[in-house]
Amino acid sequence: MSSDDDNTISVDNLVKTYGSAKNAVDNISFHVKRGEIYGFLGKNGAGKTTTIRILTTLVPPTSGTVNILGMDVVHKATQIRKHIGVVAQHESYDFATIERNMKIYGMLWQVPSEVLSTRIEELIELFDLERVRKHRAFEVSGGEKKKLQVAREFLHDMDLLFLDEPTVGMDPIMRRRVLDYVKEKSREGLSVFFTTHILEEADYICDRISIIDQGKILAEGTTQFLKDNFGQLKTLEVEVSGTGSFTEKGLRENIMSLENSRDLSVKENKITIVGKNMDRTLEDLILYLNRMGLRAERINLRESSLDDVFLEVVNK
Amino acid sequence: MIRTPAFIRLTVRNLFVNTDPGTLVFLLGLPALYLLILGTMFVSLISGVSIGTSNISYTLFVAPGIIAIQTFTAGNIGGGMLWSDRRWGMFEQLMTGPFRRTDYLLGIMFLGVILSLGGSLIMIALSYYVTGTFIMTISNTGLVLLTIILATILFSSIFLILSVLVRTMQAYQTITIFLFFVLDFASTAFYPVDTRTPLPLRVFSDINPLSFVSNVLRSAVLGDVTSGTIFYLEVIITLTFIFFFIAVILYRRIKPGT
Repeated sequence: MSSDDDNTISVDNLVKTYGSAKNAVDNISFHVKRGEIYGFLGKNGAGKTTTIRILTTLVPPTSGTVNILGMDVVHKATQIRKHIGVVAQHESYDFATIERNMKIYGMLWQVPSEVLSTRIEELIELFDLERVRKHRAFEVSGGEKKKLQVAREFLHDMDLLFLDEPTVGMDPIMRRRVLDYVKEKSREGLSVFFTTHILEEADYICDRISIIDQGKILAEGTTQFLKDNFGQLKTLEVEVSGTGSFTEKGLRENIMSLENSRDLSVKENKITIVGKNMDRTLEDLILYLNRMGLRAERINLRESSLDDVFLEVVNK
Repeated sequence: MIRTPAFIRLTVRNLFVNTDPGTLVFLLGLPALYLLILGTMFVSLISGVSIGTSNISYTLFVAPGIIAIQTFTAGNIGGGMLWSDRRWGMFEQLMTGPFRRTDYLLGIMFLGVILSLGGSLIMIALSYYVTGTFIMTISNTGLVLLTIILATILFSSIFLILSVLVRTMQAYQTITIFLFFVLDFASTAFYPVDTRTPLPLRVFSDINPLSFVSNVLRSAVLGDVTSGTIFYLEVIITLTFIFFFIAVILYRRIKPGT
């Protein structure tokens, strides 16, 4: 493996067109560093899967350059495939038991037999597959099939791992266990290209994220950078006490700064406001409540989540 | 570390996936059952069959036909592997692994040939035990092996073509059953086709590749190789080349994940 810079993935001006249809991937560029976990987020049909299929050498790009581990994806596909692992979105397994699936997969990757036995035992334990190790893969649940898919990929050594929605069907405990394991491997130098619809996962695991929509990358950066620059929406929750009264209409008419808010709701004594520049709104709200003989009992100001960022970027 | 060629690893994988007890019984047991049941049931109905200048027992007649069917069955398992790998996501998975498409194709072909040779060897041994009259000289054995390998590649190619073109499981199974029924029974594998056979069936049998395979194998194991046998062999070679060529072209066009 050779790379003239520290990037495991270098994508420059990548375009993919199917027939005469609109570009599935439309002139995107990004780079993934060694040991980095890079999140690739987008709604259905945004271009994520097409991009992954190009990066994993399954389909050639229409134009642009893609280098994986310093090798061109068109001309060095066979070489690249020796150094990557892929957990595809769709399920894939052989018609054999879970254990035999892993043995076969290890054999295909030429994992030495003594190493393979140890790794299989470790991964079966880590991925909680002991109960179903003798079950045929097609007999087990979707979550367990997914666990098999992820587990078997860690049987072989690799420099770059593609995870396309790897935790679908898994329970929260297993999801967290898988993410922690990926993080651990990343700290050991593994680069990871990660897509998910569960944005909390991306927030938890990714070093950097890009958001793709209609084939174009709309935003890219660390999760904090994206929150700071794109997720300007904050949620203000205020519980009110006192002898006076208030209505949603009254709040709207008397607090001018609420004009810029995205959402306002009143439920019994609780006011929830979603919007930008919440400091000003909070000041105005407290003054208004005082005028009405009320006071703010509890105040909770929540920062924007990655979900907010995603919605903000994609809906722009 | 000695690196095993990718196509061998894929062949081993294909064998592992297919060597569950059910498949083994089907592969190795069914042809033997054919021989035992047909050989004993029909022998009372068909007293003897004329091959060239000699008259042979029905059991001796049917044994090479069953070996021919074995090549067809093995071809189905080999070529059909692509269909199930596409259906269960393994084709795309393997194509992101350390393999080339050629490796995968070779893995399928080798699987068919191994299953075919394995089953055929059992059949030959069993047939020899039952009939005791197989003539296995070096040249005859060579001709048997060549025919088995060519026939397996031919039938694997046919099922590979099906695997590329047919999308649904129902359609694939229906076509497979149809092919099995028509090619097996409208051929010279199980019974001789002569002037008593209805004309349409006779014509179909004359162009049925399984008939060519059965005829060559029969001539080889009976030590009765004639110019007609060589002609049949040439037809098998030509058909194998044509179908393999079509299969490769279609196979190369598969977009993983579709």
